[in-house]
Amino acid sequence: MAKILRFNTSTKELKYEDVPEKYAVLGGRALTSRIVCDEVPATCDPLGPFNKLVIAPGLLSGTSAPSSGRISVGGKSPLTGGIKEANAGGITSQKLASLGIKAIVLEGKPAGGDWCGIKITAAGAEVFDANDLAGKGTYEVTAICRERYGSKVGVITIGPAGEMLLPAAGVTNNDPEGNSSRYAGRGGLGAVMGSKKVKAIVVDSPGTFDAPVKDQEKFKAAAKKFAKILQDHPVTGQGLPSYGTNVLMNIINEAGTLPTRNFRYGRFDKASEVSGEKLAEVAVARGGKATHACHPGCVMRCSNIYPMPDGKVCAPVEYETAWAFGPNLEISDLDVVARLNYICNDVGLDTIETGCTLGVLMEAGAIPFGDGKAAIAALEEVYRGTPLGRLIGSGSVIAGRAYGVTRVPAVKGQGIPAYDPRSCKGNGVTYATTPMGADHTAGYAVTANILSVGGKVDPLQPAGQADLSRNLQIATAAVDSTGLCLFVAFPVLDNPEGLPAIIEMINAQYGLSLTADDVMALGRDILKGEREFNRRAGFTSADDRLPEFFAAEELPPHNTRFDIKDEELDSVFNF
Amino acid sequence: MILEVRVFGGLEKWIPGASFGKPMEVKTARGATVRTLLQELKIPEDQVFTILVNGVHASMGDLLRPGDRVAFFPPVGGG
Repeated sequence: MAKILRFNTSTKELKYEDVPEKYAVLGGRALTSRIVCDEVPATCDPLGPFNKLVIAPGLLSGTSAPSSGRISVGGKSPLTGGIKEANAGGITSQKLASLGIKAIVLEGKPAGGDWCGIKITAAGAEVFDANDLAGKGTYEVTAICRERYGSKVGVITIGPAGEMLLPAAGVTNNDPEGNSSRYAGRGGLGAVMGSKKVKAIVVDSPGTFDAPVKDQEKFKAAAKKFAKILQDHPVTGQGLPSYGTNVLMNIINEAGTLPTRNFRYGRFDKASEVSGEKLAEVAVARGGKATHACHPGCVMRCSNIYPMPDGKVCAPVEYETAWAFGPNLEISDLDVVARLNYICNDVGLDTIETGCTLGVLMEAGAIPFGDGKAAIAALEEVYRGTPLGRLIGSGSVIAGRAYGVTRVPAVKGQGIPAYDPRSCKGNGVTYATTPMGADHTAGYAVTANILSVGGKVDPLQPAGQADLSRNLQIATAAVDSTGLCLFVAFPVLDNPEGLPAIIEMINAQYGLSLTADDVMALGRDILKGEREFNRRAGFTSADDRLPEFFAAEELPPHNTRFDIKDEELDSVFNF
Repeated sequence: MILEVRVFGGLEKWIPGASFGKPMEVKTARGATVRTLLQELKIPEDQVFTILVNGVHASMGDLLRPGDRVAFFPPVGGG
């Protein structure tokens, strides 16, 4: 019987609760957002005693469903002031689900400066003193926990940035090799975990695929069908397994929508130097891997292992991170990009937000564009908690205010990722309207705008973008609840048998008879709940807008502006 | 006419001496289409998933013009 594990950080009381009926068939984002909506006052201080950090495996996690190891982390965001769900791969989701844990809820706020950890095994959960782990980077914390508790444990942890309560701090967990690089990065949830004084959650489960399944036969048949659908699609069967997500660098550049020099241009003449093709070449030559699975059972294997010149490895270097520290900063040295990525993973920061922040600081002239050495030195200051280090960890909007920069690429306080909204307008609609703040994953219109997946919508024209974004946001909210990697959307958008196969797996696992309409209704419900939380927190339609420079400045090479009308943006949530 | 051609994601293996992302000057007859260009380059049509001409999606039958920036991609995705 699945349980919710609650940890009252004020009293140090740890207890298992039965799962209320209303949460029984929720998982991942559906569950984190529902618990946050039900239990967290929308106007609370994100770092105060009334906020909660909710961690939930997806519905299919811990089963043999391919690529189903995503874990969701939710709470009120210190970066946006609204609701937040960020999800990650890594090995912990499957372990929690195998132990029958539906969610972990951290609540309250302890007095004093002591750090603690939680260890979860099949025998139960216990609190441990983590003062010796405090101040350490995530790689060291994970290595220590693997040494103490066994090399197979999953470790959910925060870095010094989370301990310092910096608004761009993320929550990480590890891959099978122990790299603490699988981040629920966005929105500052690492600071929420830091405010609860929980440094690490160690999950020790003998099994990875032990989540209960009601109808094994039906489940196996559906999982097999779904694996074949993933393997047969050109993107998930061929593109992602060859070069990983950073294969996007060149196509986004050629399409003229690669934000360059803090969103000044749509192309970077050295983009291919930091692309997936280059990464594969260098990684393999140095004994790394161009392809790698972030969790057992993933058939797409879009991760990679990039050995750095100092002997350490950065695994993976993802597209959005390579963009954030590459073209966005006019840096064309992949070793510099990997180094900045590694520091963020270790110190505990979201790479996209940090890249946007460094871009703003470069715009201000505080660091020269293209100066990788200066960027690394500035980022290393986060470890020491210097004023500049804290500023970098506070996100692009705060950096912009501190330096008087108006060209700050952010919505609802969160930095805009690797696709310029002026020439990938569907993503612009998503950035503006998602309850999460600027987030490319929330409604990834790059599919139909650029990649010719799930239909085609001209990326340079406003027509059709609001509908595209709406449909994708609904579908994404549902996918984010299953524990499936969002990349399953590529085949699901193109293959009419994709969604039924997912629903068959869920029905077989939980003994349900859901239909496609039910799943879409779940997606709509999640979004409505999240929007309602934000409304109660004080958000209005004025918050569903892009920064004005996207409408005022043309983006070369297509010389387009963001010209989607306010009424269209306001129509996205018309359901 | 002269075109500026780039290939990516492994398509470079079909062109001796080519490397991904490196612009190649290709001379072809006026009236060339994307398809005839691919034939001249000896890249099998079924290996190409996305074609961008001057940053805009193009199809096999589209006519090319002097100076066009043409890019060929296999299936790619991520995010």
